[in-house]
Amino acid sequence: MNTTLEQLRHKKRAAIGHAHPVNVVHHEETTLGERVADKMSAGIGSWTFLIAQSVLIAIWITLNIIGLIKHWDPYPFFLLNFAFTLQAAFTGPVLLLAGKRQAEKDRLMLEHAAAEAEESEHRTLDILQETEQNTEITLRILERLRQAPGKAAR
Amino acid sequence: MRQRKLTREAHKHPVNRIHHDEATFGERLADRMSGLLGSWTFILTQTIFMVVWIVFNAVAIFQLHWDPYPFIFLNLVLSFQATYAGPILLLAANRHAQKDRLTLEHAESEAVQGEERLREILLKIKENTEYTNQILTELEGAKAL
Repeated sequence: MNTTLEQLRHKKRAAIGHAHPVNVVHHEETTLGERVADKMSAGIGSWTFLIAQSVLIAIWITLNIIGLIKHWDPYPFFLLNFAFTLQAAFTGPVLLLAGKRQAEKDRLMLEHAAAEAEESEHRTLDILQETEQNTEITLRILERLRQAPGKAAR
Repeated sequence: MRQRKLTREAHKHPVNRIHHDEATFGERLADRMSGLLGSWTFILTQTIFMVVWIVFNAVAIFQLHWDPYPFIFLNLVLSFQATYAGPILLLAANRHAQKDRLTLEHAESEAVQGEERLREILLKIKENTEYTNQILTELEGAKAL
């Protein structure tokens, strides 16, 4: 249990050295487009991005309100508004890109689960068969003991 | 399970423990933000806020017109919201993808362990069958004598 936790903690930090086939295919055998998609969603969906964006917006608004330098985008900040819309227009598709990729992974996961279930059923059937065989032999022993007169029977 | 739905602490599954109980400050904050953004409280508050804004600026009975039609400032505020909603959404998606990845890793190690157990059981039963067979042979030999 503890080794699993430690291994999982390690894997949380670095997305390499996966054991599950679907993780290997999805994270380690990526095409260029998939890697770029992952990088983009990781980049936009990060604290670095959110903080950098906030700082940029704060500077933009401050410089266009106070009289330090020439106001390139005075209130109501049309250019900033355009920049917001532009960002949103790209974030939406990136989000769907990530969503599509996750959906693909889900599909592979289910396929793998089905294959695993099939294999496990074979294993269980083997065990059942072996147990049935054992029971049959035990039954034969019992019958033999009952047929034997006197001492072995009771 | 109903109780587990309400509390997010002291999980049993290793992946839940790492993902929820051992979350870093940034991860907790990200969860809080996406939890807030994706809540009825937020949607309802935003709707009321927008309706009030538009009514105040469109209807003449209120003497306050801080943002008359076409509501340029409201447009700015909404764009601002969208600019933050996108990255927060991706933050949540990334976090969920990470959990998925860890879940699979854990499932794989569980599967390997489970397979090992099944193999052991089969082996033990085969061993048992062998002994049972020996008892049968012995009994048959004793009767022949």
